Amino acid sequence: MKLKLDKKDVENFLKGLIEGYDLYAPAQLTEGVSVFKKIDRPEEVNLTQPVTQKPAKEAFFPQSEVMFRYEEAGNRGQVISAEQTKRDRILLGARPCDIEAISIIEKVFTGEDYTDVYFLEKRKKTTIIGLGCNHPLSTCFCSSTGGGPFHRAGSDLFFTDLGEAYFVELLTEKGTAFRENKFFKEADPKDLALLKELEDKAFQKVDGSVPVEGIEKRLDLMIESPFWDSIHEKCIGCGVCTFLCPTCHCFDMTDEAVNLKGQRVRNWDSCLFPIYSLETSGHNPRPTGRERTRQRLMHKFNYFPKNFGRVACVGCGRCILYCPVQFDIREALLYASARRAKGLKGKSR
Amino acid sequence: MIQQKLREKAKELLAKKEVDLVIGFSDWTLPLRTTPVFIRTPEGAERLVWNSFCENNLAAYLHKFSRLKVGLVVKGCDARSVIALNLEKRFPNHPPLLIGVVCQRLVDRKKVKKAVKGEILHAVEQGDLLLVKGENFEVSLKRDDFLYSSCRSCIHRTPHQAHILIGDPVEEVSLVEAHPDVDEFERKSSEERWKFFEKETSRCLRCYACREACPMCYCGECFVDNSRPKWIEKSLSPSDLAFYHIVRAYHQTGRCSGCGACERACPMDIRLTYLTQKLNQEVKDLYGFETGIQPEAAPPLSTFDPEDHQEFIK
Amino acid sequence: MKNPYLPIPMMLKKAQIETSDRLLRTLELGFKNKEDEESFRFVPGQFCELSILGKGESPLGIASSPTEQGFLKFTVNKAGVVTTALHHIEEGSEIGIRGPLGNGYPIDRFEGKNLLVIGGGFAFTTLRSLVAYYLHPENRAKVKQITVIYGARMPGLLLYKDELLEWEKRNDLKLVTTVDWGDKDWKGKVGLVPNVLEEVAPSSEDTYAVICGPPIMIKFTFPKLMALRFPNERIFTSLEKRMKCGIGKCGRCNIGHLYVCKDGPVFSYAQLEKLPKDY
Repeated sequence: MKLKLDKKDVENFLKGLIEGYDLYAPAQLTEGVSVFKKIDRPEEVNLTQPVTQKPAKEAFFPQSEVMFRYEEAGNRGQVISAEQTKRDRILLGARPCDIEAISIIEKVFTGEDYTDVYFLEKRKKTTIIGLGCNHPLSTCFCSSTGGGPFHRAGSDLFFTDLGEAYFVELLTEKGTAFRENKFFKEADPKDLALLKELEDKAFQKVDGSVPVEGIEKRLDLMIESPFWDSIHEKCIGCGVCTFLCPTCHCFDMTDEAVNLKGQRVRNWDSCLFPIYSLETSGHNPRPTGRERTRQRLMHKFNYFPKNFGRVACVGCGRCILYCPVQFDIREALLYASARRAKGLKGKSR
Repeated sequence: MIQQKLREKAKELLAKKEVDLVIGFSDWTLPLRTTPVFIRTPEGAERLVWNSFCENNLAAYLHKFSRLKVGLVVKGCDARSVIALNLEKRFPNHPPLLIGVVCQRLVDRKKVKKAVKGEILHAVEQGDLLLVKGENFEVSLKRDDFLYSSCRSCIHRTPHQAHILIGDPVEEVSLVEAHPDVDEFERKSSEERWKFFEKETSRCLRCYACREACPMCYCGECFVDNSRPKWIEKSLSPSDLAFYHIVRAYHQTGRCSGCGACERACPMDIRLTYLTQKLNQEVKDLYGFETGIQPEAAPPLSTFDPEDHQEFIK
Repeated sequence: MKNPYLPIPMMLKKAQIETSDRLLRTLELGFKNKEDEESFRFVPGQFCELSILGKGESPLGIASSPTEQGFLKFTVNKAGVVTTALHHIEEGSEIGIRGPLGNGYPIDRFEGKNLLVIGGGFAFTTLRSLVAYYLHPENRAKVKQITVIYGARMPGLLLYKDELLEWEKRNDLKLVTTVDWGDKDWKGKVGLVPNVLEEVAPSSEDTYAVICGPPIMIKFTFPKLMALRFPNERIFTSLEKRMKCGIGKCGRCNIGHLYVCKDGPVFSYAQLEKLPKDY
């Protein structure tokens, strides 16, 4: 069944979602800066920015998250209460790259021996409404990493902006549960034709030529390559690329407490910070930008594929767009595939 | 032309082995941007560019390359940072050789992006104009309308302290009466100021791009990373964010050249320079001191004078 | 779903300063809940995250042996925030632990072989667990000869001194202790561990070597083992790295595609040879 949601009904549709669920969607914090956050009012939702600054992973893996709270309770000893996700959730307006990234993080947080309950509870309780990318950016290269601007895997429902309405697809069991939503109407054949047209156009815009295929094997031979000596030079060692990366999932755990009352919190962390690997003894196994940049790239394109069978990059381009010094991950991939980086120049449209 | 001269000079310095490395700017993949480039051979000098998109303060790299003799491409503000670093004895072995470029004031890419609809794919400067192209548009904008606010009020565009000066010294005038951001901030009531400060810092990710982009932030261990004592928690609570931004700005007092690299580095568009520029102004009013103008003048906040007329110091 | 981040409550039963520099303190922890004790099964070489609420966690190798029931033993080097707190905490207080974590020593592979244990300084903790495990009557037959070479800078810095005296008396274990600087009462050897190893020259035939100690000791001991013809796949070491979660989620402790917390901390040299030197 082909459905659509008229734009004039969006506000009421969102109201319904807010009533029934915890709704997470992109919202503008200031002009041109959007993040995924919990939505209280329909007008907060802004689906126009092709790539939000912070990725959708925040709906499952917040930058700062209380794991448990504790206090000293007399003869009952130390009492610990773990945080739980109570309400069902909806993640609306996540792009295919971000949704693909969530499945990547899920591989780590699931694991054979230990499950990350905080991530997985949220994941289980969430219905994902993906949003097709009509206007991918020149920095987008999702089709090079196995995705695409209309890649539907991972979405329970999938929206496409047709101008006057959103085309609505129900893709999974969680998705078909929305079949009776009163704001969904039957779509016309011409809506379907428009969808096809938008899809083709977007696909042509995305750079599918970034050499990701076979990268794991090439990097196997490059651990001590002089490549790392030069590629890190411009990196200033901030955390922009890792914090804004939809697949980066490293975290730090700290206690915030006064006396014995407080909480254990986890916060996003970055392998580009020296302190990330600094040991109490003063020894740092990754002492310079060379080792830290190597860790970032090797993790995405060599270690992760070894452990989980796919690269930990979805081609969203955030690390390119927001890097203060224009470290371009496509450049690194081109170098690594022994093509001259010069070939990249002028390629971004 | 400045760019050509810059390349020739860099080529010469490298050929004569007067420097091991030239750090400058080069074109790269994104429009309205340049990227820092590290050149070790005379032929490599051809990669150098000079335009209104040379937004980084390259003095930040001097700490990383302290073992090399560096030729550093500097604007007026960047040169002032190097002077300030020199006063803090950061160059015991090799003071950098400054290749100064007279700055035409830089273009604020974020402002340009907001002025057009759609993604900018190509941008060039032509005289006073900025030609900007996207998939379905092509516009020419008046360059002066799109300058960084720190650049609009700049009166130190000529890096007089540079060893080599490229371009002719300019008459130093501010395009505006006061620093626009400081001015705007000062006109607010104290409640409004706090609200503004809180709203800006609330977007902070603690990625520390502002810190890393700044040449003056070179502490071996930043106070945010100290565990003993722990000055600050690691999460995003408003008080921790406020604390970070206040202390960061305060550490810059009497040391900041007002280059604005911190603000440009921020992925969340947090405004930062109104704080540092305000502190710069205070230092100027109280002590008549401006960072990096006089190569020998001691920074007022790191000197102690028993005859100090301020009561609080005794 | 079991929450792997929640510590289980333990009680500090007994604490003892081990060394003359007072930087090493051994903690004996008892389980507060019977069911936690029953489900806690470990092998020598595994570790736990010790948790002090309000301070944080610190990964520590289990120094007691699975054959010692009713308690877990850890020896804490006073260095950071949490380990300092572990030095100050009083007997009778509550401490949380998460574990057992990591892979532990490959005791299956050691079965029927000779064992050479080389330790330096305070890295002797899990080695003590391993040796104590095999010295238990039920397990002694699982390996043939056991040789232990253990060194410290000076006699006062050796761990578990009373136990070392016991071991010395046994005839089913060869113990060689050495220090860099002896004192008038010192009866063991004087010299660096690598040199003592060369002197003792245990046969590599049918033998596994397990080595833990400061990086500098390992660096110089390794060539001596090579000279004794120990193949890489029969040399094991336990690595330490900055860790947080201990369960392979938080990143940080990886060496190549392996995580020290989950795939280690025990690695063979054959494994390490193939990995970047990020340790």
